[in-house]
Amino acid sequence: MISRRKALRAGAGLAAVGALGAPAIAHAETATLKITTWGGKWGDIMKATVLPAFEKEFKCTVSADQAFPFMPKLQTSSKTDPLYDVFHTNSNEQWSALTEGLVMPKITAKEVPNVADVYPYAVSDKIVGVTIFTSAIGLGYRTDKGLTKPTSWKDLADPKLAGARGGYLIPVNSLGQAHLMMLGKIYGKGLTDLDAAYKALEQLKPIKLVDFTGQMEKMLLSGEVSEGVIHDSGVYRYDGQNQAVDFASPSEGVLSLEQVLNVTPGSKLRELAFGYIDYMLRPDVQKMLAEAVWYSPANKKVKLDAKYDAKLLTTEAKVATLIQPDWKWYNERKDDIDARVTKILKS
Amino acid sequence: MPFGVDRSIAFGHDTKRMASASSRPTPIAWLLAPALLLFVLFFVLPFGVMAAMSFFSSNPVTNPNAFLTTRHYERFIFDSAGIFHDALWATLRMGLITTVVSLLIGYPLAHWMARMQSRLGHALVLMAVIAPMLTGIVVRTFAWMTILQDKGVINTLLIQWGVIEKPLPLMYNEFGTIVALVHIYVPFMVLTLTGVIGRIDERLEQAARSLGAGRLRAFVEVTLPLSLPGILAGSLLVFALSISAYVTPSLMGGTDVLTLPMLIAQQVGTSFNPNFAGALGVILLLVSLAIVIAYNRILTRLSGEQGMA
Amino acid sequence: MSALPNKQPFDAGRAAYLALNVALLFFLLAPIVIVLVFALNPTPYISFPPVGVSLRWFDKFFGSAEFMNALWLSLWVAGCVLVLSILIGGASALALARGNLPGRAFLTAFFMSPLMLPAILTGLALFQSYLLIGIGRPVWGLIMAHTLVAVPYVIRTTLAVLHNFDRRIEEAAAVLGASPVRVFFEVTLPLIRPGVFAGGVFAFIVSFDQFPVSLFLVVPKGETLPVVLFNYMKFDLDGAIAAASMVSILLALSVVLVLERLIGLKAYVKL
Repeated sequence: MISRRKALRAGAGLAAVGALGAPAIAHAETATLKITTWGGKWGDIMKATVLPAFEKEFKCTVSADQAFPFMPKLQTSSKTDPLYDVFHTNSNEQWSALTEGLVMPKITAKEVPNVADVYPYAVSDKIVGVTIFTSAIGLGYRTDKGLTKPTSWKDLADPKLAGARGGYLIPVNSLGQAHLMMLGKIYGKGLTDLDAAYKALEQLKPIKLVDFTGQMEKMLLSGEVSEGVIHDSGVYRYDGQNQAVDFASPSEGVLSLEQVLNVTPGSKLRELAFGYIDYMLRPDVQKMLAEAVWYSPANKKVKLDAKYDAKLLTTEAKVATLIQPDWKWYNERKDDIDARVTKILKS
Repeated sequence: MPFGVDRSIAFGHDTKRMASASSRPTPIAWLLAPALLLFVLFFVLPFGVMAAMSFFSSNPVTNPNAFLTTRHYERFIFDSAGIFHDALWATLRMGLITTVVSLLIGYPLAHWMARMQSRLGHALVLMAVIAPMLTGIVVRTFAWMTILQDKGVINTLLIQWGVIEKPLPLMYNEFGTIVALVHIYVPFMVLTLTGVIGRIDERLEQAARSLGAGRLRAFVEVTLPLSLPGILAGSLLVFALSISAYVTPSLMGGTDVLTLPMLIAQQVGTSFNPNFAGALGVILLLVSLAIVIAYNRILTRLSGEQGMA
Repeated sequence: MSALPNKQPFDAGRAAYLALNVALLFFLLAPIVIVLVFALNPTPYISFPPVGVSLRWFDKFFGSAEFMNALWLSLWVAGCVLVLSILIGGASALALARGNLPGRAFLTAFFMSPLMLPAILTGLALFQSYLLIGIGRPVWGLIMAHTLVAVPYVIRTTLAVLHNFDRRIEEAAAVLGASPVRVFFEVTLPLIRPGVFAGGVFAFIVSFDQFPVSLFLVVPKGETLPVVLFNYMKFDLDGAIAAASMVSILLALSVVLVLERLIGLKAYVKL
């Protein structure tokens, strides 16, 4: 008969061995991939479906930061131990991150196989990292104000819309920044013609300016503005809710608002990070997210349901209407532009 | 005021030390230690780091190429962009207006609350006063949008009643911003004031009335002066808060309003220039501290009491 | 002029006083009524006038693990901040008012400084410092950051009450034989309760509703409610925000009521 004391001692010994072994096993299994993500519906689906499936397949955990802004936090953390492994943000911020060496300049099919299947815009020279989705920036308008559907960006300057048109605080909103560049293109020599853009901006007064697109959506929905600069996703998400708003793609082209993923050079989980980007480019994942938030998927092979397919950019031809601004150029001049537009738009 | 002068009667042996060496700190001064510790660790040191950063071109910890420079300060002082000085004045001006309006609105409410007899009524008014502070930043803005915008409640009603023809511009300008700021800060003013007014012995007012003063005169000559510490404390609080506000002005003001805190937030959040933001923060803090210290000094002289407000 | 209250003019003056206050209350409460309307309005975007009454947004709020976790975290943090700031702030106010410290005006202004800095800078500075010393972003770091911005309120309000303080009550107690410690706990503290209460209310609310400081100091799955709401709002515009807001208001008001019972704004001694 084994005495209780001996049994206890044996049990303790086994437990100790187990405890010593456990960390080693745990370490191998549960790497934590640090990513950033938007909130709202996107965040809901990521947390409920996409991320758990990823964690299961790749045997890791994902820590998703939702507290925007992300760039200042990434800036503050050290390059050898970055706060994020995968950095998800818009194109303009990826370029800012690149100038500080916080992200990788190019990601090819070598690191992320599914890159081979994306539209050219997703990895163009205007992109730092890989685009997984994009939206089109155009004009949103109310259908019950007797307005004809806008066909040109110049329609926003229609005198009838005085006091009923909407734009953004340019220093803080990339749609506003993109729109400014567009003004240079349609009234001047091109996206970099700031003089023409400033003049055109002056002509748009009076204009109601907001901080983020959610506010623009509200202004359109409540009739506070009859027409405003907005991305298609911001209008289409009210599909089926009987709202008197619609989206128009101006003939001069729509600006692209890309969702771009990138990897931090100092990340200790590079392979996993690339695996994550590859995962986000899979057709089934792309379809799920695109239909949830009305983003246009970057993967050519994605087949969306009919109603989404009709409105989003899912063919080579439609994608060709996307205009990608030169964010590197813009960011270099951002301070001057911010000061200038602040003075112009002060009434 | 005779209160607080004759301290020599009480406190036994401590008093002798107090009376003879009135310029030396008393043992009670040690109670300041926890706050000092908190502030040194969590305010002075981090802010020191930030102030140090403001003299570098970029973050010296993460960027080996960062070099010492005064260009951030030069950028503000010379203001070639033409917007920085305006931003500072706008900040101070809006802070002042917000403070005065908050006082005008807050004082009657505080007085009413302090003098209320019914415990239930007092609790209800207290909750009503505090509720605005709790609505949350973004929801509050959307609520104001609903009320103030062209198609908002106020304009719709006024147009319906034929009072005006075109909607009044109540939002996306300084007016809307001040309305929203006052709405957030009145509760602070009320709560600061009501404690002080509540401590004023009502019989002083009653005595004045029984000597023949009307209600208004009794108020102006007795209650109001006695509530001065509360007025000054509340004003200082609201002023400090309103000159550091940036979320509300951003959401309510369009481009019409550009304050220094908004600039700082932009530099941190969208221009990714924490060094310049730090410099602006240092400047804002120095200007504010100067104003607050001057305010305190003037009041000390005016009121004759030390360390007022 | 006469000592006899004349019924007619008495009522008019009082009526004006009441009317003014009710109007001011109306100003304070109007946006909250709007928020309540949003919270009960069934349409999935914010509109006015409302189309009906529905509890779907409250369902959504209570059904969301993310919102609930954030709510409890915010309450917990605010509770800690309340206790810490009352203790630290109350002590400091006493020291400043009675400690005969040199440079009192400067010290008082110094303790006000966190309020004068845009909170986004405070948050960023703390984040930088935490990273520099390598502690990451622990919850206690968040609590201390909130305490930093909450303590000035308690100091402010307690100082204001201390200045109107009738010290002869303390002196009387001492003359009657109470030790300084006993005078402190049984006379001084109860009398400064209104100031401490007001400051405590601020501290709780400032922490519960804190956004910019929290922005940099929260971690994934450890976000406070304002941060979660703000980021939700940027991407989704429905009544869930309003429901969250109403719940926050009701919860915080309950805490304030409890505080009022315990510490009391009206609990002062009348001679």
